[in-house]
Amino acid sequence: MAPRLMQGSDAVADAAIVAGCRFFTGYPMLPFTELLENMAKKLPAAGGVCINAESEIEAINMALGAAATGARAATGSCGQGVSLMQEGIAELALNELPLVVFTMARGQQDYFQSTRGGGWGDYRTITLAPRDIPEAVVHTQLLFHLADLYRTPVIFYGDYVIAHTSVGIDVEELDFGPLPSKDHWALDGTMSGTGQARQIWTWARGKPNTPGPGPNQSWVTIADKYAEIERTEQRYETYRAEGAETLVVSFGTTSVFVDRVVDELREEGVSIGSFRPITLWPFPTVGLAEATRGCRRVLVYELNAGQMVDDVRMYAEDRSVIRSIGGVSQDTSGMRQGDLLNADELRTRIRRAVAESTAVGS
Amino acid sequence: MEREVLCTGVGGQGVQIAAKTLATAALDEGRQVMLVPRYGGGMRGGMTNAEITIGDQALRALPVATSAWSAYVMDPSYWSTIRPNLADGAVVVVNSSLCAGLGVDVPGARVFEVAASEVASGLGSPMSAGFVLLGAFVAVTGLVGVESAVGAMRQLVPAYRTQHLEVNAGAIRAGAALLPAGAAPAWGPAAVGAV
Amino acid sequence: MTTVDIHAAPEPAGRRVASFKPDLLQSSEHDLCPGCGHPVAWRLVLDTLVELELSRRTILIAGHGCYTQMMKISDLDSLQCLHGRAPAVATGVKRMMPDAAVLTLQGDGDMVSEGLHEVLHAAARAENVTALLFNNGVFGDTGGHMTATTVIGQRTKTSLEGRDATTHGYPIDVARLLAQIEGAAYVARGAVNTPGMISRTQRMIRRALELQMAGAGFTFVEVLTMCPTGWFVPTASGPEYLEDSMMETFGVGELKTPPG
Repeated sequence: MAPRLMQGSDAVADAAIVAGCRFFTGYPMLPFTELLENMAKKLPAAGGVCINAESEIEAINMALGAAATGARAATGSCGQGVSLMQEGIAELALNELPLVVFTMARGQQDYFQSTRGGGWGDYRTITLAPRDIPEAVVHTQLLFHLADLYRTPVIFYGDYVIAHTSVGIDVEELDFGPLPSKDHWALDGTMSGTGQARQIWTWARGKPNTPGPGPNQSWVTIADKYAEIERTEQRYETYRAEGAETLVVSFGTTSVFVDRVVDELREEGVSIGSFRPITLWPFPTVGLAEATRGCRRVLVYELNAGQMVDDVRMYAEDRSVIRSIGGVSQDTSGMRQGDLLNADELRTRIRRAVAESTAVGS
Repeated sequence: MEREVLCTGVGGQGVQIAAKTLATAALDEGRQVMLVPRYGGGMRGGMTNAEITIGDQALRALPVATSAWSAYVMDPSYWSTIRPNLADGAVVVVNSSLCAGLGVDVPGARVFEVAASEVASGLGSPMSAGFVLLGAFVAVTGLVGVESAVGAMRQLVPAYRTQHLEVNAGAIRAGAALLPAGAAPAWGPAAVGAV
Repeated sequence: MTTVDIHAAPEPAGRRVASFKPDLLQSSEHDLCPGCGHPVAWRLVLDTLVELELSRRTILIAGHGCYTQMMKISDLDSLQCLHGRAPAVATGVKRMMPDAAVLTLQGDGDMVSEGLHEVLHAAARAENVTALLFNNGVFGDTGGHMTATTVIGQRTKTSLEGRDATTHGYPIDVARLLAQIEGAAYVARGAVNTPGMISRTQRMIRRALELQMAGAGFTFVEVLTMCPTGWFVPTASGPEYLEDSMMETFGVGELKTPPG
């Protein structure tokens, strides 16, 4: 099909629908609002249901209910709204229910919220951070696949720029391979009265005829599952990083700006490359350790007071070369990244960092 | 010297208040005390355990004992949760009214059986069975004095249950009369058990 | 003619109806207090599901409370959800499974304290689910604490001198709120403290489920149940105390029925 001019939120909605999403709910909140509007417009025609929830707490719980029946379901908000969904996300994880949560961040890069979560218990969420709309369309479909494959809530980390920018694009359906059946756990009422009724309960106690493992064994199994995901699902990308003296680390939209500046500085003979985690969780620990080995400086550019830098420090072999060169940056509306999302500013900061640590004695 | 008591029963049998009574009595007598309850939701049914550690000096004990000196067993349902944490030779006081057939397989255990539920019913107050068992427990171990236990009970019974104070006192004393005083002492030269 | 031996039990022994375990219970063992009204109320629900032939298409969403045990022992496809959120969860379930009979089971703490938002909105949206409220005016599972339906004068561990309006405010009559919402098709309040009320309440539950299956909108049945432990009253006084306290405050009956 020929590419059409589509806003990011529109393309993501189409991607969700071709992935088979049949239940969507949310609460209007910029820059998530357009995704909700698009789903409200398109999902019913695809045989699905879109509900404008009365609160984010309702949204995550409605989505949980839909997921419990085996349907592909999704919800989302911006960081502020996702705050209210933390308990629900944890509940999904400990019930081993699949769900895609679209975090469309405002001005701040909510790395902690998207990777540490504020819910209770030992759970993680596979979190993908696309850099642009074409990648967003791929990630949306991949996330529905991963959620079903691992029976877990997962997070799409987007932002104001991805949600609102328009590009020419064609949304193609992707197939990521076979998936296990949901029949043995999804609720549809048909096992009621058979003596073998199903039950979804975080304490996993089961019923008298079908006793469950109980909370301890169930949560140990779930923790083990996340440990396995951590080993096998790390994704990242490097750009011109081979032998680079300076490595700039960033994620999402920010990395597009980083790679542009890397090209410009390479033109001037600066030895510089970039590293981009694609999975914010599981953080690409192995890739990062390799990419940072031998670098004179590792500059972390994120639009917050320093969140991903913690993970960079944890996994780089030489912590002494790491510096944060980003910062908090809001535009005047409070809804979008501010002046730091700017190639000139980024170039200035990189040059300064290079100059300072090239000085004698550093 | 520190002495541990592992209590177990089913919700509604008075295990928690009996444990708190013992702890309060020990404090009243000038000792150091730690009380660690273990229970879930629901007011009745379900596991209800408590661990009490009593000592002469600042306690070294952990909130989960692994080599406890004694046990107070109202009901067999959750016996398996405390049995692995009892020391060899532990003093085990058992409510035989509900624990018929409970094999106490702790090596060298000194087991004392008390028909606490029946005695309490005989006194006209089935609800005081936990205090009957407590009276027997403190009499045979001397962990605290019987009257200290009665005094502690008076402090602890909540305002909406004060109509039961005299009955509870009677239950503690009745229980104390059921076992030979000091037959398995916690303190003093005749005491047996790790220091 | 053989004479009947009056000194021994008849062979075979007569079977008491009261000991007959409903099919939809996998076990009749539970840990609820003596005098608790929940098993009585739940029995009515199970019997109604069987009568209406909904046994093989029911999905139960249960909140957090002593009544969660009813979910555990019932032979129904079940989901235990976050405190207060059952009507939202039920929305997602029913929208994806429109042919199922979807029930929510909550206590007053769960629905009226924590989850007031969820139940009002589910009613407004006319979601075709049946919400059940087992209301005993107290948070029983946590040890007897005040909820949004605790009646004035009721002692609980967080209102030891009795609920007093100037300090603790007033109880909420959620059924009356729901009856005002257009999306609510049927709103009723029964009780299980007397045989007469038990029969009336069963009819309410039946009506609610029939209306759900007819797609009439949101249906709601509140059942006043006994909690002598939470109320600090002797077990045997539970039914009478319920009449004097909860029924006195809230009343019983059908608050809203479909026209015609």
